[in-house]
Amino acid sequence: MSFPWQRTWVVFRKEVMDGFRDRRSLYSILVSALLSPLIMAVLFTTMAERRRSAEELRLPVAGQAFAPAFVDWLRQQSGVTVVEAPGNPEAAVRGGDEDVVLVIGREFAERFARSLPAPVQLVGDVTRDTARPKIQRARALVSAYSSQMGSLRLMARGVSPAVATAVRLEDVEVSSAQQRAARILAFLPFLLVVAAFVGTLQIASDSTAGERERGSLEPLLLNPVPRSALIAGKWLAAACSGALSVVCSILLSTGVLSRIPLHELGGRFQLDATAYALMVAVVLPLVFFSSALVIFVAMLARSYKEAQTYLGMLLSLPLLPGALAPLFPLAGKPWLAVFPVLGQYALMEDLLGGKPPAAHWYVVAALALIGSAVVLLALTTRQLRRESIIFGRG
Amino acid sequence: MIDIRNLSKSFGKVQAVRDVTFSAPDGAVTGLLGANGAGKTTTLRMLSGLMKPDAGSLSVDGIDVGAQPLAAQARMGMLPDARGIYPRLTPREHIHYFGQLQGLAGERLAASTEALIEKLGLREIADRRAEGFSQGERTKVALARALVHNPRNVILDEPTNGLDIMSTRATRELIRRLRNEGCCVVFSSHIMQEVSALCDRIVVIAQGAVVAAGTPAELRAQTGCDSLEDAFVRLAGLADDTEEFSS
Repeated sequence: MSFPWQRTWVVFRKEVMDGFRDRRSLYSILVSALLSPLIMAVLFTTMAERRRSAEELRLPVAGQAFAPAFVDWLRQQSGVTVVEAPGNPEAAVRGGDEDVVLVIGREFAERFARSLPAPVQLVGDVTRDTARPKIQRARALVSAYSSQMGSLRLMARGVSPAVATAVRLEDVEVSSAQQRAARILAFLPFLLVVAAFVGTLQIASDSTAGERERGSLEPLLLNPVPRSALIAGKWLAAACSGALSVVCSILLSTGVLSRIPLHELGGRFQLDATAYALMVAVVLPLVFFSSALVIFVAMLARSYKEAQTYLGMLLSLPLLPGALAPLFPLAGKPWLAVFPVLGQYALMEDLLGGKPPAAHWYVVAALALIGSAVVLLALTTRQLRRESIIFGRG
Repeated sequence: MIDIRNLSKSFGKVQAVRDVTFSAPDGAVTGLLGANGAGKTTTLRMLSGLMKPDAGSLSVDGIDVGAQPLAAQARMGMLPDARGIYPRLTPREHIHYFGQLQGLAGERLAASTEALIEKLGLREIADRRAEGFSQGERTKVALARALVHNPRNVILDEPTNGLDIMSTRATRELIRRLRNEGCCVVFSSHIMQEVSALCDRIVVIAQGAVVAAGTPAELRAQTGCDSLEDAFVRLAGLADDTEEFSS
């Protein structure tokens, strides 16, 4: 007997109609779609803000009278504004009134004149994220002044300043600007995976656990329709809602990305239309897997509430690789495509890094997802034969 | 025509149904009478094909339920113990959905839907979402969607449970009409008045086994009681329910 697609279509249409009349499913799509652009907008603006605030350093200096030449030099550095320090620098930093304060020691002038290291204190709190770039900048300023003065002193004594530099360190950066930007954008795949899962949740759990809870599963199974066709219809309806959530999420992210000041982050970052299309090609098949997984788990629950408990635990699993991405880079490993979710992270990371994976990996990834989905659906269909599932109600 | 032979089913150590045999002919109402927990629902669940019997066989119009569950289901219209409906769908949509799952479409589906809305008095609420429906309204919707494909065999598990007097009367009327149309109607109940008022044949079940079967007259003769009520009490141990009714 061929697969009764017609009945699947009937179930699909009913679940979609039912789902879209349900405010909860609309909310879940909306929230997951809005989540990613919102987080991105907030993150980017604060990152850009921070970098800008480090470049434009407002530096409180205590004891300016002890080293007028040094303070003058600081004032001449671009973006630096020297201001009067608060009475108690350490208290001011601890209290969060200042991010960093430079304290010039009382004996600065005297020791400087005798060519002894002149004491300067940098008061800061490295545990504060906003302060770190400012502290680094202030530290760089002090050591630049120090080495500049040191060189002058050596020259005054007829020694080449090069003698004092035994090793010269030079940073050679091999990553492309795109890759650096990809590090910044590492959470975009994470958010799209969230959208692919969250978007399916409502329809997938309402049409399984909800059906059991309402006591409508037994009447449904009394119809002469193979269980596989019923499950397939529910699956496609949930996948559809997941796809909607992913597409909304990508479209909104694109809108936000085109408006935020990426150049201020140092990344010469541009995602063109092709890159977005490829992102869609990577994430969209994920909804076939996510909906099958959610349906499988939710069918084990007697009630909607119970399903939510299970799904809460389940959802943390696919999100794990995304959260751990900074520790375990997935770039350059397209063969991970054979694993659901992990593969999507790997392919997206390459895409964002400006090194699109070969075309066949997209196919492999999609096949792996659909294959795992079919296995999960077959298991769910078997669950539907168990009397404890059919008759056990919440 | 429904035929049940030597049906048995256990849950763990509890034997819920033991060696149940009876048949329900076309054009007649067969009542399954028994106290709560006597095994009525379990028997009907096995008839629906959703529960596997440990032993015995069931057939609907000669089709073996175990061997061809889908073909058997297509010939039955069943109101199960669970009659949950979808709160965001209207009665008309419920009937449509089940009709389509039964393979109906187009003109036939529309005609059948209209006829059921009329017959069950659903006209006023036909296009209202089911959220907040009363027990009686929900049962009517569940009944309508079970009958959308005009099944020749109608199985109703405690159809009047939780219904008010008007709805109960309407349901009894529907059962008689189905019988007059030539259907094989099986319904279970623990209310003897209902069974005696409606049934052409009665199967009395107690503790999972058939203790008596026949027409009301045959049952009276068999027990030597003048009233059916006394006969039932003796056969099925329905004493508790009797007290409930007289009080």
